[in-house]
Amino acid sequence: MGAGGAPSRRRQAGRRLRYLPTGSFPFLLLLLLLCIQLGGGQKKKENLLAEKVEQLMEWSSRRSIFRMNGDKFRKFIKTPPRNYSMIVMFTALQPQRQCSVCRQANEEYQILANSWRYSSAFCNKLFFSMVDYDEGTDVFQQLNMNSAPTFMHFPPKGRPKRADTFDLQRIGFAAEQLAKWIADRTDVHVRVFRPPNYSGTIALALLVSLVGGLLYLRRNNLEFIYNKTGWAMVSLCIVFAMTSGQMWNHIRGPPYAHKNPHNGQVSYIHGSSQAQFVAESHIILVLNAAITMGMVLLNEAATSKGDVGKRRIICLVGLGLVVFFFSFLLSIFRSKYHGYPYSDLDFE
Amino acid sequence: MAEPSAPESKHKSALNSSPWSGLMALGNSRHGHHGPGAQCAHKAASGAAPPKPAPAGLSGGLSQPAGWQSLLSFTILFLAWLAGFSSRLFAVIRFESIIHEFDPWFNYRSTHHLASHGFYEFLNWFDERAWYPLGRIVGGTVYPGLMITAGLIHWILNTLNITVHIRDVCVFLAPTFSGLTSISTFLLTRELWNQGAGLLAACFIAIVPGYISRSVAGSFDNEGIAIFALQFTYYLWVKSVKTGSVFWTVCCCLSYFYMVSAWGGYVFIINLIPLHVFVLLLMQRYSRRVYIAYSTFYIVGLILSMQIPFVGFQPIRTSEHMAAAGVFALLQAYAFLQYLRDRLTKQEFQTLFFLGVSVAAGAVFLSVIYLTYTGYIAPWSGRFYSLWDTGYAKIHIPIIASVSEHQPTTWVSFFFDLHILVCTFPAGLWFCIKNINDERVFVALYAISAVYFAGVMVRLMLTLTPVVCMLSAIAFSNVFEHYLGDDMKRENPPVEDSSDEDDKRNPGNLYDKAGKVRKHVTEQEKTEEGLGPNIKSIVTMLMLMLLMMFAVHCTWVTSNAYSSPSVVLASYNHDGTRNILDDFREAYFWLRQNTDEHARVMSWWDYGYQIAGMANRTTLVDNNTWNNSHIALVGKAMSSNETAAYKIMRTLDVDYVLVIFGGVIGYSGDDINKFLWMVRIAEGEHPKDIRESDYFTPQGEFRVDKAGSPTLLNCLMYKMSYYRFGEMQLDFRTPPGFDRTRNAEIGNKDIKFRHLEEAFTSEHWLVRIYKVKAPDNRETLDHKPRVTNIIPKQKYLSKKTTKRKRGYIKNKLVFKKGKKISKKTV
Repeated sequence: MGAGGAPSRRRQAGRRLRYLPTGSFPFLLLLLLLCIQLGGGQKKKENLLAEKVEQLMEWSSRRSIFRMNGDKFRKFIKTPPRNYSMIVMFTALQPQRQCSVCRQANEEYQILANSWRYSSAFCNKLFFSMVDYDEGTDVFQQLNMNSAPTFMHFPPKGRPKRADTFDLQRIGFAAEQLAKWIADRTDVHVRVFRPPNYSGTIALALLVSLVGGLLYLRRNNLEFIYNKTGWAMVSLCIVFAMTSGQMWNHIRGPPYAHKNPHNGQVSYIHGSSQAQFVAESHIILVLNAAITMGMVLLNEAATSKGDVGKRRIICLVGLGLVVFFFSFLLSIFRSKYHGYPYSDLDFE
Repeated sequence: MAEPSAPESKHKSALNSSPWSGLMALGNSRHGHHGPGAQCAHKAASGAAPPKPAPAGLSGGLSQPAGWQSLLSFTILFLAWLAGFSSRLFAVIRFESIIHEFDPWFNYRSTHHLASHGFYEFLNWFDERAWYPLGRIVGGTVYPGLMITAGLIHWILNTLNITVHIRDVCVFLAPTFSGLTSISTFLLTRELWNQGAGLLAACFIAIVPGYISRSVAGSFDNEGIAIFALQFTYYLWVKSVKTGSVFWTVCCCLSYFYMVSAWGGYVFIINLIPLHVFVLLLMQRYSRRVYIAYSTFYIVGLILSMQIPFVGFQPIRTSEHMAAAGVFALLQAYAFLQYLRDRLTKQEFQTLFFLGVSVAAGAVFLSVIYLTYTGYIAPWSGRFYSLWDTGYAKIHIPIIASVSEHQPTTWVSFFFDLHILVCTFPAGLWFCIKNINDERVFVALYAISAVYFAGVMVRLMLTLTPVVCMLSAIAFSNVFEHYLGDDMKRENPPVEDSSDEDDKRNPGNLYDKAGKVRKHVTEQEKTEEGLGPNIKSIVTMLMLMLLMMFAVHCTWVTSNAYSSPSVVLASYNHDGTRNILDDFREAYFWLRQNTDEHARVMSWWDYGYQIAGMANRTTLVDNNTWNNSHIALVGKAMSSNETAAYKIMRTLDVDYVLVIFGGVIGYSGDDINKFLWMVRIAEGEHPKDIRESDYFTPQGEFRVDKAGSPTLLNCLMYKMSYYRFGEMQLDFRTPPGFDRTRNAEIGNKDIKFRHLEEAFTSEHWLVRIYKVKAPDNRETLDHKPRVTNIIPKQKYLSKKTTKRKRGYIKNKLVFKKGKKISKKTV
């Protein structure tokens, strides 16, 4: 029953909404005539505008982004007496739509709207609103829109032009980019203020207090600070992370690996020498560490005391690690750096 | 003698079980007779090693004459120099003795100025040929070390009547200095580990591609001499920390002064040395040697570095240098507390110590922050800041982000530049940390900070390379030491003694002789169960193979990747013959010969130094990118349409415009490929006029063909690049106007200019030069003359006929001729 009821109601609403403009037109005309008769046509229009602005101000004082349905959309955006710019995000936030991009875009949009709402320059020239697909399907149909999220700017006068639709594909939806676009379209400069991300600070404080607590608990036995092996491990970790290009990953953000959509093969090594995958850098990290370990083992075998047989084995293992993993590394390098003439076969 | 490292005795007693303090006692008893210079409380063997101090070098030093050893070292160093020098000559042999790339051209030009006008004239040089109309004070905006070095060598040679052109001095300066770099690397590594490692490190750094990339013949750039200065300063610093003598520290300061005069990378030194001192303090390795070394270094180095005009007051006014000042203050406070310790009870001292140190640290930190806020100290400059906050440059400074050297580093570049060294140097680091002492703390910090910076920026691979060579050499030398020799000796790792110290110590060691012999016996007993010659020779062979591969790799990389002058291009045909494309010099020579001496040439900033150096003409912007708005103006002119660009060019007094176009030969580094950066930089300053999105297709692509955005197809850069290109059919498989670089047929083939005219196009179209026309004498109207709306009803037609043309008078009396009366009738 309930399942059947909802669509029918929606259909009804849609029909009513579709009829409303034509139906309201004579009504408006009548109103207009009435106004003119009363001799205050212009005044009435101003009243209407003031009323709208007042309404919008009230909404935006409550929430920085107000939601709109088809009704409100037409009243505040489509109908002409306006002196304000309106930024609208068309989106689909309902969980069943499974639009993860929309959620991310929404967060950025929230940051932007909050920065505007609480900035000192806040005025009634610019409003932020959103239309959810499930609340205003008719708006989507009316604007002939078939992708979400979309950001649009509705200028105070005239219809939105091509540039009034934010180029999401190319620029991305960072709040700063949105602010730049808004400044471009409306001359209102919104200074984006991101709420500071406390999670990093908290994690750091937690770590520091943990370490401090540990030190305090073991204050009678602080030898482990002087443990050279520990420090050596830490430094080697930094070195391995850097030489395997983790910083590149951090700055460029490559995918973990690439899956070929045609045959489903997963490639872990990027084909070009200018780029790398995350998985690839992990492989390199392991290879570098193995070679280093081989060198250290070679040294251990020669310096440590103990059974000769055991030391021989350690020595051979070390040598094997160095030679095998270096030739492996070289072959990966060869596959990436086209035209590199030397292979591991030279010495094996 | 040696300062007790733990400042408080209670703490120290707690530490007694730790390896360091245990060994400290050992070291003291062992080297007690060396006096204050021996410093080696901490330099003792690793904790794991048994208390069996058979210094490694000693037996060798005694059994064989020192002369052989030093002759061998000398020969190896000489050969390393020779190998390094000759492997940098690929470019000279393949092409000619020519200055490479971009920045070297400026350095060459200023060196030439220095050589021909003298030193003071050079310091006061105002270059009116750059940054028209602003000009540039060269003497005050340049690190003069490179020019002065080259000028000095030139002067000395000419005084000795060896006539060398200044260009040849410039071309061969960097390879020569690479030899000096390998010698100073040898010295530094010898201080850190032992002589064998030093020699290996010298060989590594002589041929490693990461350093060759900046020091091939012709690459006349600051880095070429700066790496030598860097290594030498570090050597002297380690030496002065070891000895605690003011002499070595002053030498270190002089070397630092040379470094400051040579390269902006001196900031690395002035932050790494304080970091070293700070970590030594944290590790409770404070000693009078450190105090003397750092206090002298900071004061003398500060004063010396401020003598360079370009540096000026920066060492006391910018944040980059504040760490050094803070550590200096901290060290004074620490030393003062040490002094007080003798005069106070333990309990009093303990509280005072913690209070004092934390108050001093806090005060230094807060005062730096306060001074930064009040503006006495400049905050971190963008270039340095982008090293910490890695996303900063991408958002805020497009001109930094646009340079390819400032990109982060992939593992491939690490491997490409360092090969086997990148995999083995962590092992060297491991050995250093396991056998820590004062100077090995330094090398560990050097390695970790340099590897971080190299990860953030490709360019800083250069500062990583020396430390990688040193640490790899330590790792390899360790292995060779155990596996190369006979089974008898060298059981424990080389501790701390370099051989020259051994020589000095020889008289002292005589006392120990009996004990030493006994130890030898025990060692021999033990090494009877050695690894055996087979395994040893296998290990040695394979290690040597690895090093051979390294050498082969280095030569290949040097020859293929780093030896192109980039002023002259070469292409190879199918049969292996070579074509030289000399378009750049052709075009610059044309400019030099055919244009007015004061003509102003507009181009993108990459080519500024080359135009000034080769064509000797005035440029608007160049590679010294100090004025972003000026560059943005040029970018705006390039990315506007012709009329708007003409207005900008008129205001900037431009006579010629130069563009690089690679579409004919498929050269990918041309201006169209750089074009988006011009747009971005222009947009940063003129967001109203230039919008990056206008240059993309609606799908967000950057295309030059028909589908490209109309703004792009009509902007000045596009028109200049592709003018008359549409008429050109390169081969029969492709349509006319096919761009080989971007593999597309161009979208706008009908290009006409109103305000420019083509002046010169080089043989392969690589350089195209346009002349900006003067405004016409008479403005031609670009519209039809105005038409009045009074249209005559009909055309006036004269009523005159030919007959009446003479004019007539109305109602004029008309004569009537009478008839003559004929006389006949009479």
